Amino acid sequence: MKISFDKLQKLWRGQDDFRIRELNCGISLKAVCLDTMCDDAKVSAFVLQPLAYVNADAFSEVERKLAVGTGVRKPPNLFAAAEDLTNGYTLVFDGEDNCISVDTRTAVGRSIAEPPTSMVMRGPREGFVEDVKTNITLLRKRLKTPDFKIINLTVGKYTNTAVAVCYIDGIADKSVVDSVVQRLESVKVDGVLDSSYLARYLDVNRTFLFRRIGSTEKPDIAVGKMLEGRLTIVVDGSPMALTVPYLFVEDMQSPGDYYENSAMTTLSRILRFISVVASVLLPALYVCLQVYNYQIIPLRFLITVLNASEAIPFSPLTEMLLVLIVFDILREANLRMPSAVGISLSLVGAIVLGDAAVQAGLLGAPAVMIGALSGIGLFTMPDNTLILSLLRLAVTLVGGFMGLLGVIISVLAIIVYLASMQNYKTPFLAPFAPDIPEDRQDALAQVPVPQMKKRPKSIPNENGDRRG
Amino acid sequence: MKDRVSVDQLALLYLMLVMGGKFLSLPALLAGDLGHDSWLSVIFSFLWDGICLCFLLWAIRINDKSKLDVSTILDKSVSKPVSKALLAIFFVIFVLRINILLGSCYTMFSVTFDVSTNWIVYLLPVAALSFFAIAKGFNAIARTGQILFGLILVSVVALFVSPLAEADFGQLLPIGEAGWGKILLTSYTRSFWFSDYIFVYFVMDGIKIKKHVFTPMLVSFGVGAALSVLLNAVFVALFGYLAPDFDMAMSKIGVFSAANTTNGRWDWLTLSVWLTSVFIKVAVFAFCAYKCLEKIAGAHFVRFNWIAAAIVLLTLTLPMFASAEQLLNTVIKWGVIPFTLVQYLLPLLMPLLTKTAQRRTEVANE
Repeated sequence: MKISFDKLQKLWRGQDDFRIRELNCGISLKAVCLDTMCDDAKVSAFVLQPLAYVNADAFSEVERKLAVGTGVRKPPNLFAAAEDLTNGYTLVFDGEDNCISVDTRTAVGRSIAEPPTSMVMRGPREGFVEDVKTNITLLRKRLKTPDFKIINLTVGKYTNTAVAVCYIDGIADKSVVDSVVQRLESVKVDGVLDSSYLARYLDVNRTFLFRRIGSTEKPDIAVGKMLEGRLTIVVDGSPMALTVPYLFVEDMQSPGDYYENSAMTTLSRILRFISVVASVLLPALYVCLQVYNYQIIPLRFLITVLNASEAIPFSPLTEMLLVLIVFDILREANLRMPSAVGISLSLVGAIVLGDAAVQAGLLGAPAVMIGALSGIGLFTMPDNTLILSLLRLAVTLVGGFMGLLGVIISVLAIIVYLASMQNYKTPFLAPFAPDIPEDRQDALAQVPVPQMKKRPKSIPNENGDRRG
Repeated sequence: MKDRVSVDQLALLYLMLVMGGKFLSLPALLAGDLGHDSWLSVIFSFLWDGICLCFLLWAIRINDKSKLDVSTILDKSVSKPVSKALLAIFFVIFVLRINILLGSCYTMFSVTFDVSTNWIVYLLPVAALSFFAIAKGFNAIARTGQILFGLILVSVVALFVSPLAEADFGQLLPIGEAGWGKILLTSYTRSFWFSDYIFVYFVMDGIKIKKHVFTPMLVSFGVGAALSVLLNAVFVALFGYLAPDFDMAMSKIGVFSAANTTNGRWDWLTLSVWLTSVFIKVAVFAFCAYKCLEKIAGAHFVRFNWIAAAIVLLTLTLPMFASAEQLLNTVIKWGVIPFTLVQYLLPLLMPLLTKTAQRRTEVANE
């Protein structure tokens, strides 16, 4: 649609922050901006001052005067002009509906800080913020190469959220880039308030269990992933950047892994893996061994368990489900409470409530211990705690009803499900299934960085050599 | 493609199938027929299998360019009605083999783990798992095998090692006492239920060949054969003399374990890990049975057909009416000729049939 000052004015009719300033610089001009989105000092410096004392004959002269600002452009149509206006640009019109937009955006937002979800002992402490421009600056600061490419998109009918697809040309697979851009362009939604909105659209299989799109709050991690051939998607208003393609093993990796000794990292990852598997299976095994196959439990331990649970009024399955549900309620409450209260609440919940339940004879001490151990183990994979908690409940339920057969069938079903998933030409369980031996250098075990000479084969890329 | 697998995945899966089924009830069945010479019968049945597998791999190598599925190969080479008849025989074999595996597992749970459930209650979750795996594709099954292979191998090795101290290998002697003719004949009749390579027919259009076909598959076959012969020998050395009288089998071996109960029956957990390979085998055979129906129905078949799933499920309820042993003996009695045809004759002809099908497809395309 052709640019027209009248149409634009109609669009913002009745809005108090829609400000019009009439100027006379030889020809009659109108400067329009949204007061709430603009920085007054920038409007003054890049629009009003350059046009003061000017006696222009034509609009081209006005354009030349406004060129002192860095963000100056001619919007091609009314929609682009309206978008610029909502983003904080100031539009300058002449009487013939010629228009030029000048970047006068206000810099409202928090400053760069260490992200609360990815604290590290060693390594960079900068985290993404809610401003897309700042976030791209953080990436650009680490990737000083013209090969670092950004594709800018706008998603959301009403929010017009800026989305930047970032990748390294020559490393990222072009077909994956095209596929991601295509998916983002096809998103039809009223608004995008956070990157997690887009994660659902980027998931090819639309899986309801397990995360299929990676996310990070740390620019160094995002750059590390881009150097392996992945794409980073930065969304305005979200401090969480998305990364695709995503592998299951990434859940075992922590932001600090690459700044620590590789032997320690390997040990940590193996511990994380064992604790996650144990967290999901331990309650189910406890219940089904107590109900069906108690012979497996060593005799002394069995006697202890039986003594502890003799007076409990519930069946082992009900008892364990109660423990798990109470633990989940505590976790949920802890997340929602202010941090100072949260610590007290978790202490009260875990120690006092658990102890009181055991003393009152409502729950057995072994069940509380198994539930607590399983609950703590889940936090070694913090991004998937809720999903794993759900799986844990399901496996416990099946194990309680069907014994070892149920546990075996559940585990197999989960693995078949995980093994069937594939996003952007990347199998979810790579490098273990399919087996890609070269990629195991940074899966559960990690070799020292100087020995990582090849990029992972499981991530599609155009240059497999890490040395250029 | 959901059903595509690499040669390495196929080889690993084949080894898992050998470990999954051959240890479950074969040792007891053979010991019942041949006494302490049963382990020799295992060697001979692997010889049959080895020859057939080589011919089948040759056919896969030939088929690499055209990627024809087994149904198309048979349709083009021996006519559609014969092809459908052969697929129907395959369907019967797969369903019966699933029944025998499930029957043995059922025994294992009821006798060893002391958990008796109704057959239907036991069958439904296994069937649900199998249909879920079919819906997710053969590739997902193969990848599941890759994930669990290490654990299963460790559990199998543990099954060997833990009773070795009790084994009396003198029981294997004298060799060939049952008579070589009888040993050969038993290896032939019993092999119908324990030849694992036949699933390869139904994935031969989806095998990604990079370099070698023969090497990984034959290595896998060799390791599987060695493990099976060794386990049978250990079984005879441990329980061989008891097997014919007490219906001893792997599925009941846990009952007789000499482990100290003060420390708990951790060997049962080992058995549970190994059982995952049996359920993977059930899923693979269910996939093949399902494919048979798909190929027989032809174009009328949609991606996941509930009617076909129901047919497979219904046939799996057979052990409610007759034991696996009875089924086995009845079918061997009545079906030995058609089964010999698809299991031992067809693989030998597959390279020729594949070439013929390729030639006819090329002619038709021209």
